[in-house]
Amino acid sequence: MRRRSLCGIFLAAALSLVWGCAGMDYASIATIAVKTTAKAAEASRPISDSEEYYIGRAVAARVLGTNRLVQDPQLIAYVNEVGETVARKSPRPNTYKGYHFAVLDTDVPNAFACPGGIIFVTKGLVLMCGNEDELAAVLAHEVGHVANKDGINSISKARWTQVLTTLGTETAKQYAGAGGQIISLFEGSIDDVFKTIVVNGYSRSAEEAADAEAVATLRKAGYDPGALSALLTKMMAKQGAGSSGIFKTHPPTSERLAKLKSIAPATETPSKLEAVRTKRFKSVKI
Amino acid sequence: MKVPAWWIKSRGWLLLLVLAALLCSPALAGAETMKVSQANQSLLSEPNFSGTPIAPVPTGAEVTVVTTSGDWLKVEYQGNTGWMHRGAFAQAETPKINPLGMLFGGGVQQTKSDEVALAGKGFTPEVEASYRQKHPEMNFALVDQVEGFKVDSAKLQTFIKDGGLNP
Ligand SMILES: [Zn+2]
Repeated sequence: MRRRSLCGIFLAAALSLVWGCAGMDYASIATIAVKTTAKAAEASRPISDSEEYYIGRAVAARVLGTNRLVQDPQLIAYVNEVGETVARKSPRPNTYKGYHFAVLDTDVPNAFACPGGIIFVTKGLVLMCGNEDELAAVLAHEVGHVANKDGINSISKARWTQVLTTLGTETAKQYAGAGGQIISLFEGSIDDVFKTIVVNGYSRSAEEAADAEAVATLRKAGYDPGALSALLTKMMAKQGAGSSGIFKTHPPTSERLAKLKSIAPATETPSKLEAVRTKRFKSVKI
Repeated sequence: MKVPAWWIKSRGWLLLLVLAALLCSPALAGAETMKVSQANQSLLSEPNFSGTPIAPVPTGAEVTVVTTSGDWLKVEYQGNTGWMHRGAFAQAETPKINPLGMLFGGGVQQTKSDEVALAGKGFTPEVEASYRQKHPEMNFALVDQVEGFKVDSAKLQTFIKDGGLNP
């Protein structure tokens, strides 16, 4: 902040004379003890938006440690345009550093939402989507997981309690002192999230909540809300193809499809504008 | 008439003090502006990320700070007033050093600088830095690339309109 730094220069010059702004700083000595107590009392705060962001970055870095990114600028721009269009209509349109969408270079259909808003979709899943509305449905579902904080909520309660305890005991020391302990807790948190979003998948209730949110978001954005059931039907037909990828992370069960069909059945005939969107989807080289 | 020697000696200091007082006074320092460095930002109705977006704020826009509340800034931009998170603006390059911080330890400090404020608060950029060092197999460079892609807001408007979607 400009004003503060200018102020700081004069403060330094005037520090030997206890007067004016410098006086205010000396007065704050008295409040430090109070602040320390307040800090210890933040015992059960939830994970903040910026902490969610740093966890999400590390989870994404782990995904990208073993996956390549599609580098085609046209596809990147297209997926981000569709993603941003739905994210704006989601219950959580803004995150600490916003939503970012990327395509993983693999034919295995899959999608993951890292906490904070980095969303991956594989080339295989983009290809399985026959049109823009189905891609929007996938991305709206993943945005739903970010909005519901499903990734971040997979961090074990015990681990987060330990983080807060560690911070509580270290308040009076320099940050470096708490370092080792916090870093291993950070590692553990990344493991918790990674296991849920990449390896085991979310709970059935989390899936159904993200589906319901995706339908509402698609409706608000002007996309066909039936696109998600259409895609899920397609996935169920291909389920024999494997039990990995999307079939593991977001299982297309008949209960899930039944619930989805009751709130937004697949539409038989696409609207004129949907045809326009399908045309632009097909014009993007995947 | 002769001017006393003590007056000549302390005159510089007095001038400096008056200047310091003027600059530190919020009323006289004038409105503070900040430049938005993140893409796809909006003015929000409330100081939290679930606030309703009031108006979009493009990257590079200069907003006027009205007031602050923790990590949230109430700002004015093109006639609209709303809240923006500190993260939307460029971070301070170096943590500001406060002599009291050195005496009492960084963890207790409540300064406005992002880095210092984050230190000791949990999962912070410093924690990420140590984690990166320990795990070279994680590809943070690609994460930065993913985060670096910005959807151009004019292009997005056209995309939404062309597709018959809702802005
Ligand atoms: Zn899911």
